[in-house]
Amino acid sequence: MLMRALHEESVELIFGYPGGAALHVYDAVFRQDKIEHILVRHEQGATHAADGYARSTGKPGVVLVTSGPGATNAVTGIATAFMDSIPMVVISCQVASHLIGTDAFQETDMIGISRPIVKHSFSIEDPNDIPIVIKEAFHIAMTGRQGPVVIDIPKDMTAPDKTFNYYYPSEVSIRSYKPPVSPDDQQVQRAVDAILASKKPVLYAGGGAISSDASSELIELNKLLKAPVTNTLMGLGVYPASDEHFLGMLGMHGTYQANMAMHNADLIIAIGARFDDRITNTPSLFAPNAKIIHLDIDYSSVSKIIEANIALFGDVKNSLTKIINKLNDGLNNHDPENFIPWLNQISEWKALHGLNHDLYLDQSDNNMILPQQVVQHVYQETKGNAFVTSDVGQHQMFAAQYYHFDEPRKWINSGSMGTMGFGLPAAMGVKLAHPNEEVVCITGEGSIQMCIQELSTCLQYNLPIKIININNEALGMVKQWQDMNYGGRHSESTYQNSLPNFVELARSYGHEGIKIEKNSDLKEGLRKAFSLKEKLVFVDIYVDPSEHVYPMLVAPNGSLKDIWLGKDKKA
Amino acid sequence: MNKKNILIILENKPGALARIVGLFHQRGYNILSLHVDAVEDTSEFSWLENDLNIQLKPNEVSKMTISTKVSDALQTQILRQINKLIDVLYADEKK
Repeated sequence: MLMRALHEESVELIFGYPGGAALHVYDAVFRQDKIEHILVRHEQGATHAADGYARSTGKPGVVLVTSGPGATNAVTGIATAFMDSIPMVVISCQVASHLIGTDAFQETDMIGISRPIVKHSFSIEDPNDIPIVIKEAFHIAMTGRQGPVVIDIPKDMTAPDKTFNYYYPSEVSIRSYKPPVSPDDQQVQRAVDAILASKKPVLYAGGGAISSDASSELIELNKLLKAPVTNTLMGLGVYPASDEHFLGMLGMHGTYQANMAMHNADLIIAIGARFDDRITNTPSLFAPNAKIIHLDIDYSSVSKIIEANIALFGDVKNSLTKIINKLNDGLNNHDPENFIPWLNQISEWKALHGLNHDLYLDQSDNNMILPQQVVQHVYQETKGNAFVTSDVGQHQMFAAQYYHFDEPRKWINSGSMGTMGFGLPAAMGVKLAHPNEEVVCITGEGSIQMCIQELSTCLQYNLPIKIININNEALGMVKQWQDMNYGGRHSESTYQNSLPNFVELARSYGHEGIKIEKNSDLKEGLRKAFSLKEKLVFVDIYVDPSEHVYPMLVAPNGSLKDIWLGKDKKA
Repeated sequence: MNKKNILIILENKPGALARIVGLFHQRGYNILSLHVDAVEDTSEFSWLENDLNIQLKPNEVSKMTISTKVSDALQTQILRQINKLIDVLYADEKK
């Protein structure tokens, strides 16, 4: 019944791991051929893989785990999806109803444990409810501000010796759940008036614009406005990085021009973005002269950190369409010339302290390899077309800064939760959804070891992912903060020569491994890795361990114009 | 910081109370007092039935009153967070 309902929900793939309480369900998995099950090596890998599948396709990811440790191992992945608003349905099996509350073998209160990190959760109390609960779970996961939903199913609810009347509703309506769809027309007019009155606007788009599939509307809007656009870490790709109006990412490690534009703006149009603390720096010092227009589907995201002057509640795709229609109705004439002095100012900032995207041209061995050069070479070798997943730390920021994303859903990273171990399993989910596309996992030797067991899953399902391991033999971002704020005391951020031989490790799983230590070998090594189309290749690249990520906002107590540009250089 | 009373109408389902209490803890809000009852006589909430175009049956929903100490700025945020919970039909300052 469960599998039939999942099939009716158009589920193609499930990521999971069996166990005692899940045996009945797994027997049903065996006895059907509509849905493919991917057996991972750890339940955290299942949730991240489902997450990568969801982020890259826009469809919900589905996870199946057993009770107790199966369920708790899934928790980090559920929290990751929750914090980034990724649609996911997690089916956690549970001990039989009569054992609940008795501290039975592999019993854990999954509903209780997952409560703060799910959009909603269900506990099955009657097998007849399974189809309707599945329908409601997918509805909740996919509508409004998307997020993970947990369904806890006691073992006796899946007993194969019982039969039930199966009824799958074609539609579902939950009377206590009505997310906003489209904004109020008066608010739209107020927003357009504010845009027409502004001289220094910035469009600031985040992950919500991707969830809403609003990329084309955003591009269309800016064909009319010709205003500068910045994306959050979560929003990269929703506005093409190669467009002349794109400022790059903003925030903690954002570009100089993006942060300066935000700080000096007279109008900020937030599109599916939520003024996260990595974006605002000190909220009381944030963009002192800016009016705020906030487009969001979640009421609680608006005026949470930064007070909005004009709020457009609804699916941002609809909100953007309404703004575009108003600008085109002949009554609201916008003259892009108005923004030219502002764009010139931003170009000056960019020329002054913008990122250097040509570091890869230096292929001499005068210096150690820089992590920025690695990302730039990967960009060149993949012609900017790859799906890129990342883990968390310096390599993540370098990837975000130097790999230019021209399309949404191509940059897959754990933005809010910052989950190390995300990259490899997420890449599996992406590769399964897009078998003919290049999928690259840019990671570090710290992060990759947090879910490295999934190399075995990649062998089982033949997933030729390219792993770019930016190896600085340390927990780079931790070390950077220790360098900057703790007198260079590297407390527990290095491993004292205890790293594995990653090349041999990859080969032991049947994959290919390449080690690169010299800048002059970098281009050729990467070219070889990408030429091995049928193979997972683990490229272990030793980089300058002393390198820091810049720009970096001064924190605490800094604004967006307080920026470190280098180790001894402040803007 | 002012004392505010919040009225919440939510589905009378297992775990619904825990979601509210959990939310207050998770977001760092303080509960001064909490009262919850299943609603047997639904006539008190005919205005809600009209607003949402629904029909309430006896004991189908619960009425909860929470008093909390909160700044004006945070009050809207608390109400929005409560309203975001899937089982909540209504939450607002108690007049």
